Amino acid sequence: MSLVRKLKPDRNITGVLVSLSILPIFGLTSLIFGISTGMYTLVGMVGLFGIYYLYGFIRTGNIAQLVICLYTVFFGYILFVAAGTGKESPFERIEFGLAYFLGLIFFGVVIISIALTRKAKWRGREIFELAAEPIEDIGNGYTSRPRPVGKVDYSPQQVHGFARFCARNLIALPYITSKNVTLVPIKMGDEFGRLLGLSGDYRDATWVNFDADGEVSVHIAQKDYLDYREMLAFDQLCTSLGQVFIDFFSHYNQGEGVRVIDRLDELKIAIFS
Amino acid sequence: MDFLTAAKYASLLSKDYAEDIFRLLVNYQAISASEVATRLNLHIKTAQDFLEALEQLDILTKEEVLEKKRPYYRYSLKQTRLVIDIDLMQVKREPSPHSLALYIREKEAAGARFSVARNDDYITNVTIWTGKGREMEERKIKLTTPQGRFLYHLPFPKAEPLTVEEIMQKAGIDERLAPEILDLVQLLEKYNVIESLEGK
Repeated sequence: MSLVRKLKPDRNITGVLVSLSILPIFGLTSLIFGISTGMYTLVGMVGLFGIYYLYGFIRTGNIAQLVICLYTVFFGYILFVAAGTGKESPFERIEFGLAYFLGLIFFGVVIISIALTRKAKWRGREIFELAAEPIEDIGNGYTSRPRPVGKVDYSPQQVHGFARFCARNLIALPYITSKNVTLVPIKMGDEFGRLLGLSGDYRDATWVNFDADGEVSVHIAQKDYLDYREMLAFDQLCTSLGQVFIDFFSHYNQGEGVRVIDRLDELKIAIFS
Repeated sequence: MDFLTAAKYASLLSKDYAEDIFRLLVNYQAISASEVATRLNLHIKTAQDFLEALEQLDILTKEEVLEKKRPYYRYSLKQTRLVIDIDLMQVKREPSPHSLALYIREKEAAGARFSVARNDDYITNVTIWTGKGREMEERKIKLTTPQGRFLYHLPFPKAEPLTVEEIMQKAGIDERLAPEILDLVQLLEKYNVIESLEGK
């Protein structure tokens, strides 16, 4: 497995910015309205994160999203109690302190393990690296048109099952209509916009479509194409991206979904990239 | 009759004074432009132009006559029945073996935007930009379903080009629809969206 990266280094800080935006908001509200209001504001923001991860779990079925949601509930509750106790610090009560530290250790271990095993990682970068792996030819040839890449035999149940598998493992976000199952690979940092519908129409993003007749077609967004270090032969890149998903489908269909995850993990892309 | 001649006929017949002038022409053995103008309260130039146009279409004959020393024309009807007959098949583009064997693909950096149908594998319209700078204009071309399917299967820029016939086969388009496909190819070639490569 080649470890030569064809994508440019990830300099997207959207994910970090969204999380870190809590701190200045907390600081400002505390400064203006007092620490108690600041804490309640923090509870509100943690609650919003909780709702986001709950929605992520409902949309994808990814268990790690649910765990993070539960963590935000725990953390939000602790903050809420701490905010409403007046002058006396709740951390001085042994029961509260114990519950806080045990909870913190439990969720700390679980969340670190989720991060290390990449269970909560959107696999867009891995997908794009895999698609580019066999491409050696250089030469622009970008077009906004989709590329039909082949025909695969499958039943609607099979392809719907594959879409759920991709969503559960954050390989791609599925959009299902009566005739099409469209899989949209998402890079880390882009998930907020895509999940919340702030990134525009999914048909303008990069996608792989499985239609009712077994036709597989691919569209690569210009933004994603420009993310490669070199202008890879576009025609070949589209075919290769389609082939990546056709291979994944074949593994999934043979009950070897774990091989798909292994293949993605082998690329050893940074956890937050 | 070709389209251009038919258009000239239609243009003349659509004038609101056309029927009145024809009534005079039918009822008078010969009439001059000034007589028509005074009779119908038209400007002499209007009447003159109308009669000249009819003469050029071979509906009237004109004869030069002299009044004192000044010559002028008198017009008389040559035919009493006007028939506009256009064979529409004359503008049909029959696909020639050459046009179907043309190797084509999308042109690099064509700058066109393609909109894909939400529920099927075809392109619904192509947006192209014509002109330069402040004169640049957006032009949106809506496609028929066969044209959309054809464009969906058109080879990418720098990809191996295919013949029109091969693309039609890939897209599952009936041979009888070749004229509308060739019309699209010709149009997109004109706007530099498609490039043709002679003999690959």
